[in-house]
Amino acid sequence: MKNYRLKPPQIIISAFLILLIGLSYILHMDLVVLMNESMVKLVMNGVLVLSLIPMLNVGAGMNFGLPVGIIGGLVGMCLAVNFRMTGFYGFFMAILFTLMICTLLGWIYGLILNRVKGREEIAGIFIGFSFIPLMNYFWTLAPFQNREMLYPIGGQGLRPKISLENYFNHILDNYGLISIGNIEIPVGLIVIFAIICLFLYLYFRTKIGRATIAVGENEAFAKLSGINISQTRLIAIIISTIIAGFGICIYAQSYGFIQLYDEPLSMAFPAVSAILIGGSTGKKTFIFEAILGTYLLQSMYLLSVPIANEILVPELTEILRTFITYGIILYALLVRERRGIYS
Amino acid sequence: MENILEIVNLNKSYNGIPALSNINLSVKAGEIHGIVGANGSGKTTLMNILFGNPIIRETGGYQGQISFRGNKVNFKNCAEAIRQGIGMVHQEFALIPDMTVGENIKLGRENTHSLTDRLFGRKYSFIDRKQDYENAGQTLRRLGISVDVGIKIINLSVNIRQFIEIAREIDRTDLKLLILDEPTAVLNKNDGLKLIEILKDMSDHKIGIIFISHRLEEVQYVCDKVSVLRDGKLVSQYAKGNIYVNNLAQDMIGHTINKAAAEKREMENKPVITFKDFSVKMPGEEVKNLNLSVYKGEILGLTSLSGHGKLALGYGMMDMYPVDGEVYFEDKKLVKMNARTNIIKGMYVLPDDRQGLGILADQSLESNIIFTGNQIKNMFIRDSAFNFLGFIDHRKTNLHVYKMMLDLDIKCTSIKQKVKELSGGNQQKVCIARALTVDPKLLFVAEPTRGIDISAKEKILNMLIEINRSRNTTIIIASSELDELKRVCDRIAVMVEGKIFKILSPDSSDVDFGLVLSGEEGVDCEKL
Amino acid sequence: MRIKEEASRLLDSEYMVPAIFIILSYFAWQFSGLTGSFVFNQVVTRFIRDGILVLSLIIPVVAGMGLNFAITVGAMAIQTALLIVIAYQVEGIKGILLAIIIGVLLSLVLGYVIGRILNRVKGKEMITTIIIGFLFNSIYQLIFLVGFGTFIPVANKEIILTRGIGVRNTVDLGMYRNTIDKLGLFKIGELEIPLFMIIIVLLFAAIIFYILHTRFGQEVKAVGSNMQTSEILGINTDMIRIKVMILSTILAAFGQLAYLQNIGMFDVYTAHMNADIISCAALLAGGASIKKARIRHALMGIFLFHTLFIVSPQAGQNLFNNAALGEYFRSFVAYGTIALALIINIKNENKFS
Repeated sequence: MKNYRLKPPQIIISAFLILLIGLSYILHMDLVVLMNESMVKLVMNGVLVLSLIPMLNVGAGMNFGLPVGIIGGLVGMCLAVNFRMTGFYGFFMAILFTLMICTLLGWIYGLILNRVKGREEIAGIFIGFSFIPLMNYFWTLAPFQNREMLYPIGGQGLRPKISLENYFNHILDNYGLISIGNIEIPVGLIVIFAIICLFLYLYFRTKIGRATIAVGENEAFAKLSGINISQTRLIAIIISTIIAGFGICIYAQSYGFIQLYDEPLSMAFPAVSAILIGGSTGKKTFIFEAILGTYLLQSMYLLSVPIANEILVPELTEILRTFITYGIILYALLVRERRGIYS
Repeated sequence: MENILEIVNLNKSYNGIPALSNINLSVKAGEIHGIVGANGSGKTTLMNILFGNPIIRETGGYQGQISFRGNKVNFKNCAEAIRQGIGMVHQEFALIPDMTVGENIKLGRENTHSLTDRLFGRKYSFIDRKQDYENAGQTLRRLGISVDVGIKIINLSVNIRQFIEIAREIDRTDLKLLILDEPTAVLNKNDGLKLIEILKDMSDHKIGIIFISHRLEEVQYVCDKVSVLRDGKLVSQYAKGNIYVNNLAQDMIGHTINKAAAEKREMENKPVITFKDFSVKMPGEEVKNLNLSVYKGEILGLTSLSGHGKLALGYGMMDMYPVDGEVYFEDKKLVKMNARTNIIKGMYVLPDDRQGLGILADQSLESNIIFTGNQIKNMFIRDSAFNFLGFIDHRKTNLHVYKMMLDLDIKCTSIKQKVKELSGGNQQKVCIARALTVDPKLLFVAEPTRGIDISAKEKILNMLIEINRSRNTTIIIASSELDELKRVCDRIAVMVEGKIFKILSPDSSDVDFGLVLSGEEGVDCEKL
Repeated sequence: MRIKEEASRLLDSEYMVPAIFIILSYFAWQFSGLTGSFVFNQVVTRFIRDGILVLSLIIPVVAGMGLNFAITVGAMAIQTALLIVIAYQVEGIKGILLAIIIGVLLSLVLGYVIGRILNRVKGKEMITTIIIGFLFNSIYQLIFLVGFGTFIPVANKEIILTRGIGVRNTVDLGMYRNTIDKLGLFKIGELEIPLFMIIIVLLFAAIIFYILHTRFGQEVKAVGSNMQTSEILGINTDMIRIKVMILSTILAAFGQLAYLQNIGMFDVYTAHMNADIISCAALLAGGASIKKARIRHALMGIFLFHTLFIVSPQAGQNLFNNAALGEYFRSFVAYGTIALALIINIKNENKFS
């Protein structure tokens, strides 16, 4: 980390953030409330962003196929809700189901990506895109029993937005919540986030983790040294998929709803742009970069909503959000050095 | 006769390393000018300069003057050179594989309909494909080649492709100077002769020809004048009548001080590895049906001109490229090539492309040295309940890496320094340290001194001898540095076209090596 | 081993994908219960609507740049031109001509920019064009949702939202609607054939055929086949690629114009949104790949893809009593076709390299 240097995107975003903080101060907004919310937002989106790291480090590029993992998590949660598992038990079971489903999905996804080595990103986009309508069949036709999940009347299958009110809504947000004056610290949420970070940290220190980084940095070297490239990539992709599944579970418990159908369609791009803002160049990425990027991006979104409303063009937030997201990704594509073996 | 090409005091260097120095050369109209030289003699650089390859400009251009037909020129790209009337036949076929023979021959000079010419200009005018094919057919007939102009290049054999490329150049009416880079390399004897007839005919039409070849007999036969390049310098020129194969071979290799660093010794002829009809499909460096036995405890040199397969042997053993044939290691047949199992059995490859294959540039000295030992042989693993996860025992690694650092004299600020910050020589030592960590019985080394400064070269070579003597490690060194091989090897095998051509003793004469490298038969040399 | 080889040969075959589409369409049509003439008329409408957009994808594929998902940029260029013309109330044929001129100029500039960008990301063109499309979409929204009425004064108040800032979601193209569709329309029984527009689409096909059969076209093919070789043959590959992107963007602009005038209503913020996906899927449905595309692939692909597109919601309704399932099937077919083409193509590429 000692060689860490600020890169143009971070400078721009930070400057923008400072500008927004200044504006919100002028507009007399409650900065403490925004601060509290930014913590929650960090973890809510942060796990999804962390999930990109194993794939980046094994050299499979930015995981635009994030919907694959997200859908695994959604299925896991739906199962837990279907069996009316509530509270911590419910959340734990949702995580457990997710683990199993994402392992399977990640394995299949990894097998496909191993066939399109070097072009994982474009393939990932369309694998994710086409997996979503396929899963729409599942949401519509799968025999879920819990009335609270189904369309009330006139519809078939699951409803697009399933409330977690009676299940595990805010289960982590509210656990061990410490209030100091106005400042709220969601300890439970932060602990979970830290555990996932620690898991990733330890993973890259195991034997297979070191092989993962070697494959990502120089595949030909790894091959000459007798590393099984396909297997190493497969493991990294499965881990990415599993963490993405956990990510959506954590996201949903904060948000209060499970969002189905086309909702995962556009979730990959903000996550990818967050990690790029953190300083990743689409190659080896540090956990710190994921956290920094998510925090900068989410705080900026958070601040821009009330400000845009203030100046009477509420769409501005959404437009800026997409503009920044895609602008950063395009920037990263342009500056990324070519990987040795494919150049 | 007029000089159409005049090169005066040409100098070119890549990153401060000179590739060409003080080249003076001229070619007359109608002259066939041969250029011969070993690898790294500067032939390719000279051609790139003459044909305006953008790589020259990207690496800082050149010094000196080139005049073409009386005008001073300095081409920015190939298009400019082509416009001036220079043509080139490339060694690695500059043909568009998805296009037909006719399209390739006429590319950039297609016949167009006169109506659309007037409407949109020639570039956006409709092509008269029929006329094109007719022209192309005529040109091919002139060369005595019968091939359907409607066939795609991808479906043709390599020797036909060579003629098509020549046809493309001959079809040009504005051709003044033709450069041919190893045009006969892929041709058999008959086709080679046919090509030479074509060249003579072109020379009669006052086209200047630069003919690069390693087949010295051909050069002697066809050229009006020959220039020999060595280490970027023009060492000699011979005019017709004075061209002799032996002289060329001698000049190519040059006089070198042959100070034997390793004393001669008697070897027990017990093979440690035997190749039978072994082939490796490494693009551009293929090994074809090679037969070779390497004896236990020896240092075997492996040399060839580039593209003749010396590098592929080790990579084939590590499953980097598809292989065929049989290999016996310590009298056991290897059933399937697999890098992991072969490393465990005791083989190891030090690659020639250090940046691409030899190091993890962004990682520390420590991680680089222990990588293979740790991954393949489970060394340096911390003892704990989590053995299966394989966390590193830093005490063990520190001890080992420090020892390596001292033994091999690796210069670095700490063992945590990134390898990309080290010099080429020290990077190579890191590679050797990694090899020693797994303690191989058979070590393949490819171009061990490439890109390393002179003082470090000696150390690396001595290190290899030391490893061989103290650990009884069998070493196969593939190198184009003949001089170095002569100093460390017990035997030197020369490869031509993917096969072992001759095995020479390191004290054979330079002329012998020069001739054998060029694949000249009937040379009298002692065979071991 | 034999079976595996045979299977992969079958998968690689140009006729594989079209055959699947024909079979699927046939069964979906049977279940949909729609009359043949209805389907035919609908497909013909789609043909004249989407034809030029699909054709605009061909040249970039030939140039080796893969599917150009940035044709949405061309679409946005012509939409911008139309909005400008409407905002300043230039009516009738004069308005259309002005819109075309502005649209083409805008496409030229944007195509140049895209070409320059793509020259820096050789080998990653497709992912880059997707991101470029999305990025320009947000710039487009920024201009018309925020810029119009604030920084940019607008004469025609009818197209502005009541709050005074931003263009309405839909703008009527009443004055231009179906003006040319009805030209040369003739009927055979229940079948309607808008001859003039079909000729326009075929004319664009002919233009592309012509371009590919010029010296320029030969150079495009050479660059598409092998960039390094083209460079040493004296072709300025970067310039060729820029020109290709300019051409594709301009063609896309014309394509979107044909699309909009046929629909007659203009969804300012969504009309261009799926133009890339639908067009690419249609091209691939006709048997093209990301390496090889011909005009017949485009023309055939539109018919095959849109037949399935038209019949599948009704088939879903009849089969499962749920029209939404047909909708999902549509999206799946669109995205899935592209995903499959990518996977097969890239796999083969890796095998041979």
